[in-house]
Amino acid sequence: MNNIFLILSHWLIVLVLSPLLIGIIAKVKAFFAGKRGPSFFQPYFDLQKLFQKTPVYSRTTTWVFRGAPIVNLAAVLVLALIVPLGPFKAPLEFGGDILLAAYILGLGRFFMIIASLDTGSSFEGMGASREAFFSCLSELALFMSFITLSLMAHSISLSTMIVSQVPLSWALMGVLMPGTPAWSPVLLLVAASFFIVILAENARIPVDDPDTHLELTMIHEVMVLDHSGVDFGYMLYAAAVKLFVFAGILVPIIFPLQTGNTLVDMLLFLGGILTIGIAVGVVESTMARLRLNRVKDFLLIAFALSFFAFVVKMWRG
Amino acid sequence: MEKYFQLPWQVPFGAFSLKLDALSLIFLIAVSILVFCAGIYAIGYMRPYKGKQPLGLHIFFYLLLSAALVVIILANNVILFLGAWEMMTISSYFLIVFHDRDSSVRRAGLLFLVASHCGTFLLMMMFFLMAQNSGSMNFDLIHHAGFPGFLAGVVFLLAIIGFGLKAGFLPLHIWLPHAHPASPSHVSAVLSGVMIKMGIYGICRVLWMLGTVPDWCGYLLLLIGVVCGVMGVLYALGQHELKKLLAYHSIENIGIITLGLGLGLLGVNNHLPFLAVLGFGGGLLHVLNHALFKGLLFLGAGAVIQKTHTGQIDEMGGLARVMPLLSLLFLIGSLAICGLPLFNGFISEFMIYFGLFHGLASLPQQGAFACALGIIALALMGALALACFSKVYGTVFLGESRHLKVSQEWGKTSYLMLVPMLVLAGLCLWIGLFPRTMVNLALSSGAYLSHMDLSGLPVGNIYSPLSFIIRGAFIFLILVVFLASCRRWLLQGRCVPVRETWGCGFSKGTPRIQYTSSSFARPIVEFVKVILFFRQKGPEMKGKFPAKTTMSSSVLDASEEYLFKPLFDKLTGFSKNLDIRRIRYTQMYLMYIFLYLMVLLIWKMK
Repeated sequence: MNNIFLILSHWLIVLVLSPLLIGIIAKVKAFFAGKRGPSFFQPYFDLQKLFQKTPVYSRTTTWVFRGAPIVNLAAVLVLALIVPLGPFKAPLEFGGDILLAAYILGLGRFFMIIASLDTGSSFEGMGASREAFFSCLSELALFMSFITLSLMAHSISLSTMIVSQVPLSWALMGVLMPGTPAWSPVLLLVAASFFIVILAENARIPVDDPDTHLELTMIHEVMVLDHSGVDFGYMLYAAAVKLFVFAGILVPIIFPLQTGNTLVDMLLFLGGILTIGIAVGVVESTMARLRLNRVKDFLLIAFALSFFAFVVKMWRG
Repeated sequence: MEKYFQLPWQVPFGAFSLKLDALSLIFLIAVSILVFCAGIYAIGYMRPYKGKQPLGLHIFFYLLLSAALVVIILANNVILFLGAWEMMTISSYFLIVFHDRDSSVRRAGLLFLVASHCGTFLLMMMFFLMAQNSGSMNFDLIHHAGFPGFLAGVVFLLAIIGFGLKAGFLPLHIWLPHAHPASPSHVSAVLSGVMIKMGIYGICRVLWMLGTVPDWCGYLLLLIGVVCGVMGVLYALGQHELKKLLAYHSIENIGIITLGLGLGLLGVNNHLPFLAVLGFGGGLLHVLNHALFKGLLFLGAGAVIQKTHTGQIDEMGGLARVMPLLSLLFLIGSLAICGLPLFNGFISEFMIYFGLFHGLASLPQQGAFACALGIIALALMGALALACFSKVYGTVFLGESRHLKVSQEWGKTSYLMLVPMLVLAGLCLWIGLFPRTMVNLALSSGAYLSHMDLSGLPVGNIYSPLSFIIRGAFIFLILVVFLASCRRWLLQGRCVPVRETWGCGFSKGTPRIQYTSSSFARPIVEFVKVILFFRQKGPEMKGKFPAKTTMSSSVLDASEEYLFKPLFDKLTGFSKNLDIRRIRYTQMYLMYIFLYLMVLLIWKMK
C-alpha cells in the first residue's frame, strides 16, 4: 500500500512539474534573445490543446504508429520510478536498476523508430536512422558513467550511486569551510559527460533543435512529423518527463541534498532541477546547433570524458 | 542430479553411455523445444515442394540431426561424442543442400562440410590428448584425472578453435553466413538456434572436464565474446538479405554467450563462486533464450520469404497490413533479441550485466578492466541490435512496399507454420515475465559447470533484482493499458480522418523514395568503416541532369575477403604446382605405395 502511494506520488511530481521545466527553458531562451517570451505555463496549454485535437492518420500506418506514443510515455514513466526525487525514494530501487532504466528507454526508442518508419516518409526514416546511430554513442557514454559511479559507490543501484556521492558543490564549501569531506574530481568528469548525454537524449541544442520541424538536419523532431493530436501530446509529454527525470539524476551528483527535512529537501531538489533547466537554456541560447556530421564528435567527447573518469578512478584506487 | 543410461555397443574404446546432468539439461530443453517447433513448421513450409523434391530423404536427415543433437548432449564417452558429432555434421549438410540445383547452395554446403571437418580434426586431437592424460575415454574419468596447467591450456585452445568453428567465433565464422540463408527456413532455425550451440556445449563440457584452467583462458574467452558480439552485430547491420542478416546476428549472440562464459571462468579462477555461477548461468540461459527467439525469427523470415520469393529487405515493405499476426510474432522476436524488458533476452543479458558489475567491484585490477570492457561492449551490442532490428522490422513490415507487388493472398499462412511460432513467442514472453524457473535452472547448470554448490551462495542477490524487474514490467504493462484507454476516451465519438503521409508539400512521392534498410544503416556503417570494409559501387554523378544510373553498396566480411580467400588461393596454387610434378603411370604409384609400406615396416621393426 505504502509502495503504491510512493509510485503515485512519483508520477504526480513528474507529470505535474515536467512541463514547467520546458517552460523555464523557453523563458531563459527568450530572455537571452531579448524577448518577453511565452508564459511559464505555455507547455501545459499546448498539451491541453493537443489532447483536445483530433489526430490525423496516414493511410500507410498500422497500429505500431498509434501504439508507439503510448509505449514511449509508459517507458518514460517507468524510468521515473527508478530515479529518486529529492526526499522521495525511488519505488523501483534495486541492484541493477540502471540496466532496467537503460533498456526500458530502449524499448521506447524501438517503438519510436519503427513508428517513424511506419509512415513510409523519407524524412522520418532519416530521423529514425540518426536516432538509432546517435543513441548508440550516447548509450556508450551513459554506461561508461555508470561503471565509474558504481565503482565509487560500491553499488549498482541508481539511487545509491547518485545519492551516496560527495556532491560536487561541496568543492566550493571545502574552500570556505575546511574539514568538509573531500570531493572527487572524477565526479566532475562524470557530471560533464552526463550533461552532454542529457542534451543529446532530450533533443536539445547543440545536438538537435526542438523548435524547428522541417529542417532535414533534425533528429527527434522529424521523427514525430506525422504525429498529431493525442499521440503528439503523449510524445511531447514523454519528452518533458524524460528531461525532468534526467535532470533529476544529475541533481544529487551536483547539489547536497540530505538535510533530513522533507520539505527542505524537496525545495533543494527542485532548486537543483531549476538550475539545470537554466543551464540547458543558457547552452541553447549561447550555442549554435552543431552540423550533423559533428554531432557524433560531440557524443564521443561525452564518452571520452566518462572514460577518463573511469581511468582516473582506477588509477587513484 | 545425474542420471546414467548404458547400452551395449561393440566399438573399440567406445561405450554407449549417456549421462543427463544439470549442464546437459538446459541444452536438452533448448534442443527439444526448437526441433519440435521447427519440425511442425516444416510440415506446412515444405508443402509446396511435395512431389517435386525428395521430401522423405529430407525428413530422414532432419530426424537424424535431432537424434544426433540429443546424443551429443548426453554422450559420456569420447567415441560416442565424436560419432554423434559427425552424424550431426553430415545430416545438416544434406539439410542445407536441399535446394541443390542452385550452385551457391552447393557451395555453401561444401564450405560448411569443409569447415566442420577442420573442426573435427582439432577436436579429435583435443579428445585424444585428454584421453591419453587420463587413460580413459569416459568423460567422468577424464574429469577426475586432473590436468597439469600446460596441458589444460593446450586442450582449451584446441577446444576454442575446434568448437569455435562450429559456434561461429570470429574469424572462423565464414561458413555460417552462407549456410544459414542457403537452407530451408526450419533448417536455418535449427542450425542457428541449436546446432551452433553445440560448439558452446562442447566448450562448456571441456571446461567442466578440465576443472581448472590457466588464468589467461578467462580473459581470452571474454575477449572472443566482445569481438564476436560487436563485429557480429555490425556485419548484421550491413546486410541486405533477411536470412543472412539473421545469420550474422547469431554470431552476436554467440558473442554474448561467450562473454558470459568468460566471466564465469574469471570467477572460477579468482575464487569468486557467485561470479562464476552468474557468468555461466547467464551465458547458459542466453543459449536457451537465443534458441527461442532466433528460432522464432528464422521461422518468421521463412514464412515471409515463402510468399515474397525474395529475401532482399530493400524490396519489401508494408507486409504488416497483409500479415498482421506474422508481423506481430516477428516483432516479439525482434524485441526479445534486442534484450528489451518484458522478453527473455533481457533476463539473460541482465544476469551477465549483473555479473560484470559484480566482477568490476570484486576482481583484481586487470579483471575489473576486463569487466568494464565487457559492460561497454554489451551496451554497444544492445544499442546496435536495436538499430539493426528496428531497421529490419521497419523496412520489411512497415511503410509501403518498395518493389514487390503485395497481394492480399499473402495473409493466408498455414496454421502449421503459425502455431509453432506462437509457442516460441509465448515462451519468450513467459521467461521474460516469469523468469524464476528458468533462472533457477540456469544457475544450477552454472553451478554444476563450475563444480560449486549453489546452496551456499547468495543467490537471493540475483532473485531480488529479478523480482523488481518483473514488478517494473507489470507496472509498464498496466501503464500501457491505462494510457491506451485514456487515448480511446479522448478520441471517443470523434471521426478520425485518414489521409496520405505528409510529404512536406511534395505530393508526387512514390514508395521508392522511402528510406531503405541500407540508407538506414548507412550512418553507423560509415562510422565504423575502418573495421567494416564498406564498399560502394556506382558512377559519379556528372552534369546538371545526370542520366539514369545505378549504385550498390555492400559490407564485405573481412575475414572471408582478406584472410581465407587469399589463404585458399595460395593453397590452390600450391596444389596446382604439385599437379605439374604428377607422375602419369599407375605402376609408379604402386611403387610409391610399396616403398612407403617398406619404410613403415622397417621403422616398426627397429
